[in-house]
Amino acid sequence: MKSTPIISMKKICKTFPLEVGGEQQVLFDISFTINPGEFVAIMGPSGSGKSTCMNIIGALDSATSGTYELYGKDITTLTPDELAKIRNEYIGFVFQNFNLLPKRNILDNVMLPLMYRGLPMSERLERAREMLNLVNLENFETYLPTQLSGGMKQRVAIARALAGDPKLILADEPTGALDSKMGNEILRFFKKLNKELGITIIMITHEFEIAQYANRVIHIYDGHITFDGPIPKNESVLLKSEQKVRKK
Amino acid sequence: MTFYDIAHESWLSISGNKMRSFLTVLGIVIGIMAVVVMVAVGETVQQSITDQFSSLGTNTIMIRAGAAQSAGVRGGNRMTLTMDDVQYLSQLPDVAALSPVENSSAQVVYGNKNWATSMVGVYPGYATVQNLEMEYGTFIDMSAVRNAATYAVIGPDTAEELGMPKNPVGEIIRVRNTPLTVIGVTKAKGDSGMGSQDDMIIVPITTLKKRITGSRFPNSVNMISLKLYQDSDNNIATEQITALLRQRHKLKDGAADDFQITDMKQVMETMNTVSSYLTLLLVAIAAVSLLVGSIGIMNMMLVSVAERTREIGIRKAIGAQESTIITQFLSESILISFIGSMFGLVIGVGLSQGVGRLILHYNVPFSIWPVVVSISVAAVVGLASGVMPAIKAAKLNPIDSLRYE
Repeated sequence: MKSTPIISMKKICKTFPLEVGGEQQVLFDISFTINPGEFVAIMGPSGSGKSTCMNIIGALDSATSGTYELYGKDITTLTPDELAKIRNEYIGFVFQNFNLLPKRNILDNVMLPLMYRGLPMSERLERAREMLNLVNLENFETYLPTQLSGGMKQRVAIARALAGDPKLILADEPTGALDSKMGNEILRFFKKLNKELGITIIMITHEFEIAQYANRVIHIYDGHITFDGPIPKNESVLLKSEQKVRKK
Repeated sequence: MTFYDIAHESWLSISGNKMRSFLTVLGIVIGIMAVVVMVAVGETVQQSITDQFSSLGTNTIMIRAGAAQSAGVRGGNRMTLTMDDVQYLSQLPDVAALSPVENSSAQVVYGNKNWATSMVGVYPGYATVQNLEMEYGTFIDMSAVRNAATYAVIGPDTAEELGMPKNPVGEIIRVRNTPLTVIGVTKAKGDSGMGSQDDMIIVPITTLKKRITGSRFPNSVNMISLKLYQDSDNNIATEQITALLRQRHKLKDGAADDFQITDMKQVMETMNTVSSYLTLLLVAIAAVSLLVGSIGIMNMMLVSVAERTREIGIRKAIGAQESTIITQFLSESILISFIGSMFGLVIGVGLSQGVGRLILHYNVPFSIWPVVVSISVAAVVGLASGVMPAIKAAKLNPIDSLRYE
């Protein structure tokens, strides 16, 4: 039996109006499917449209045309409030700059998505503690984010992302603000989550070494997908694929 | 989100910026405090007016001799009221009690003490008209009036000033050359404000006129005090009195009254109206400071929204809906307003009661409505000043907010 894909995007286009008039198209006919248990890296140089793509995947933004099904549910044309609900239930975000609430302690930060889901306090506490345990921060419950190292902050963010039991972890340059040692630690942790717990992860990055932790890479260049497949041996394969767009 | 979550989140946000929250709360504290104090001032004035009149009774009417005013000149000295008028007025159906009143001043001597006080010559009905009660002895009766008996009823303060024994009934005092036997002492009424009734000497009007002042017009009366029955209508009674006196004084139609009627109920109503306008004015001024305070909240909330753009972005990214964000920011401004109101209420009530009771020694009335008003104002001010910033926060785009530095 074929399981429902986590993400199914068909011919997604995104156009932004320009302030000087007219509009600019940043995504062209983006189509791909991501199945449960995959660890996908979305790569591309800056300005390629990968952030816009991530915003659409993360239900932070909606596409101009095309259809986007998240876990079998068409979310192309939902209102902002409905999208908020989708984000809360289906997606766990991990950001480059952590985006923890600075004046809330670690436990409160991890419980936040559960509060918006409306879970009773006892369940929130139980679930949040379980997640802090998973990222080995069970002894830091009452610390403020500012009291932790970058790597620890990112682990808190991962715990928060996982707390809501999402279908998908969406990580935007998760190691961008970390040194390589801590960055690798986080990436190994993602790998472990993916392998051992079967959590679907989509990671946005512009570094090939980081993408290598994933099983599949989607390369975006100038708003087009130029490569979609298993991680190639070296980056030149991806760079070559960009030629397809340049020729047009 | 439960109510606890909302309150908890708001509290954390407010307490996260203590100085700013304190200053904002202070604006509301001062506003509410001003309103509460001004209401207390107004109510105190109103209360003191009511107190003054309740010792007299609002169903009291005073008739003075002489035209109210004629060509700008008061004719108060004309001997237009007579003892006979008093007899006729007592026949009116609404009159419960009445007494002619002749005021005078007296230097009273008792033993080696003497004391300057006011003296009043009256009928027995005076006790009822003035709500006088006896502490010792009895009031003047009609036979004392008929015989111009040398009896006196004195106020408790007078007795004290003269150094009389606790029960001075039977003691002799002297006014000018007339010795008077004290037959009663009135109960203390407390300072009524309009000349203490606790310090005076009450004698039969005939005694005053014939024996003490030696008036050349023993049959004339300066003033008549009347007390109406509780269920009487002051206006109807006033009309009846006017009609009776005009008829007895043989005044032609169109001629001015040669007497002046003062209805205490009207006087009190007028004074109450004046004092309620005064209260309104004071409260209006205080309300301005409350308005300034609420602008302070709005300002703080707007700054807060701008500062917390990123926080709002995070909250939205992980699932906060627009209504949730609105609720959060609204409850923050309501909480600030509520805290301010409660402190303002406590300080305002404390201040007005403290100053009133301890410094002015006056019973400042405590009414519940400043409390009700404070709580409602807190809610309204909090809502009104929070709505705009809250909507602004809710409408923020999560993508832009997350990038906001």
